Amino acid sequence: MDDRAAIERCRAGDKEAFRYVVEHYQAEAIGHAVAILGNREDAMDAVQEAFIDTFQALNRLDLTRRFYPWFYIILRNRCYKLAAGRKRREVSSSDGMEILAPTSNIQPEDTMLLEQAMFELPAEDRELITLRHLDGLSYQELAKRLEVPQGTIMSRLYHARKRLREKLKRHSFTGLSEG
Amino acid sequence: MTKLNCESVCMASMAIADGYQCELSSDQIEAHLASCADCRREVGQLRALSSLLDAQERRQRTENVWQRVEPRLSDASPAPSNSQTWHPFILLGGLLLGYRIVEMVPDRDFGFIFKLVPVLLVIAAFSYLRENPFKINSELRLEGGTR
Repeated sequence: MDDRAAIERCRAGDKEAFRYVVEHYQAEAIGHAVAILGNREDAMDAVQEAFIDTFQALNRLDLTRRFYPWFYIILRNRCYKLAAGRKRREVSSSDGMEILAPTSNIQPEDTMLLEQAMFELPAEDRELITLRHLDGLSYQELAKRLEVPQGTIMSRLYHARKRLREKLKRHSFTGLSEG
Repeated sequence: MTKLNCESVCMASMAIADGYQCELSSDQIEAHLASCADCRREVGQLRALSSLLDAQERRQRTENVWQRVEPRLSDASPAPSNSQTWHPFILLGGLLLGYRIVEMVPDRDFGFIFKLVPVLLVIAAFSYLRENPFKINSELRLEGGTR
């Protein structure tokens, strides 16, 4: 079953088809929500609410467009709404890593320091940096996803990286050898 | 060059490295970097950070949201699309117009119940749409977010 077929079935009230949509996109959605909210529990709440909003709004989805970018706007709204209404919680994963995965070519300590520095950034910076570097979105895709001009993406990304660099310096991070 | 120009050059240099075509050309950027040690250092550090971030991978998530979503769906159903939402209002308008025409027929008294027909029609239309006509919609982004 593809997205379009699943959504058409959802519109007819088929909840099993919506299960396909949820299970297909939940991992990506949780990853994005964690990047904005900074912790798993809030992210799960936001993703849950976003999927329910989505189910109710499915008739407004233009089927010629991709599902996830449309869903992302709903998810993002839910995340920032939740973030505005609560104090920040501490990161609660067992290994302290919520956004990044250990990779073979980078020291685990460096990855942990990088993640720690990312959590100290404002949510908007963290969102932008993860969308650009972990998802590989182009400026054009970022502009569409975040509903801002590409020039704004250029400026915001530049300042977000600068803030991240400063955070890393404060953590005495040594992995930034100038290339 | 002024500080603002330095920042513009650094920003443009990073954007070009990201594959974005900005107003400054590569030649202009290289010429500035060749003459400005501060910008060379700035761009060098930011490019190193960019490479470090590019080498990272997103943590794979295994949580299951469906178990939390499914119980909530029993009360939910897809709302009508914007175009579908108008159909009952067109029908309602037609019926109210018909009512008005019938009401204008002279020397006919249909009684008190007949006077309630417009109110009943409006209640029926909003009940069909499952909408509260007095509700203030605070989810404007959601409705506009169909891109």
